[in-house]
Amino acid sequence: MLAEVVRDASLSFFVASGFALLFETPRRAIPVAGLLGGMGHAVRFLLLQAGFGLVGATLCGAVLIGLAGIFFAHRIHTPPVVFTLPACITMIPGLYAYRTMIAGIRIYSAGPGQDTSGLIQDMAYNFILTSSLLFCLAIGICIAALLFRARSVKDLKKYTRKTY
Amino acid sequence: MGNTKHSVEQDEIDVREFAALVLDVGTVLMESGAHCDRIDRNVRRLAERAGFAMEIFFSFTAISLTVTDKRHPDRSVTAVRSVSHHGAHFGIVTRVSLLTWSYYEGEISFAELACEMRGIRQTPRHNPWLVRLAVGLACGCLCLLAGGDLTDGGFALAASTAGLWLRQTLVRIRYNLMVAILCSSFLTTVISGLDALLGLGANPGTAVATAVLFLIPGVPLINCIIDLVKGYYPTAVARGVFGSFVLLCIAVGMFVSMSLIGINYF
Repeated sequence: MLAEVVRDASLSFFVASGFALLFETPRRAIPVAGLLGGMGHAVRFLLLQAGFGLVGATLCGAVLIGLAGIFFAHRIHTPPVVFTLPACITMIPGLYAYRTMIAGIRIYSAGPGQDTSGLIQDMAYNFILTSSLLFCLAIGICIAALLFRARSVKDLKKYTRKTY
Repeated sequence: MGNTKHSVEQDEIDVREFAALVLDVGTVLMESGAHCDRIDRNVRRLAERAGFAMEIFFSFTAISLTVTDKRHPDRSVTAVRSVSHHGAHFGIVTRVSLLTWSYYEGEISFAELACEMRGIRQTPRHNPWLVRLAVGLACGCLCLLAGGDLTDGGFALAASTAGLWLRQTLVRIRYNLMVAILCSSFLTTVISGLDALLGLGANPGTAVATAVLFLIPGVPLINCIIDLVKGYYPTAVARGVFGSFVLLCIAVGMFVSMSLIGINYF
């Protein structure tokens, strides 16, 4: 179990750092992105093992990334979105978005007059799942503004140690 | 013009120059993948420090604003600037944020800020091959997370590295972005599909499904939801449509290449 969690976290570390590089995140923030991505994904993995639903587990992982982001933003002097967004990309519902599109293509290839009710159901289910997961990730990224009524994380400096 | 202590500087700022600078900040942030609330916060800092009243409207393809000098309400400028593309460059987002804060806190003058903003688009990028390999590695790791073995992961790595190279090349020679994504998704799936065609890996479907994930428009899709949460509906809708269209191009590219090499992982 522990080995699985460590494997999950370390693989997600590389995923988040890779996407941080793709988004041109400044060098000092890349390890933080990797760290938060690994942590968030491992939390989601643990919650899924504990029987949580995919959406709930993703929300917890993303919120944790967002909260940790407030702390790190002050330490490395960078806006949090720069590293929390690549960290959340580790949980992006790419597979479900892809399945939504593929179900649409299959409805077309089935031809007219065919019974595609199963496919339509598939498409609707995957669409709902994709948008719910996206909502969870976005809520995680702007959790500081939603929870603490703050306009900018700079206003939250009093809650974290001033270290720069 | 009165020279009170704290507003010496504002007398020197022309309202036109100020509007041009705010549009510079706004469009460069929009092009670098910042959400509207972040852009709004950045430009409000400038207006607050310089003593201007400002109304600003964000749409996906342009930003328009009206700036009024608080002490001379007849000095007012309305201007629009279009947003040329929508990419992701968080290095620029970071630099602009730090610059606007240091202007707000009085560490740099308006002239220095304007000078820094002129060179902001030349902010250095990471080494392109480092990025391509890191993105390949990221997709390989996603493949392992999805349950593939090392062979599947290797195919995903090679496929997404090649795919990213193709997308960047096509965008650089000014192909339409959607054409670039379609071609890139096609090439990526051809390479990762070889894994399935030759039956090398234990779970080749995972390689096909995860290799294209680097093309997923994560920044527009997440910004779409953030804009929704913060109430910027015009940009939220546009970002959602943009992201979905990119997803559709990815799906079509995969569909074509899978039909061509004759594998079925739907």
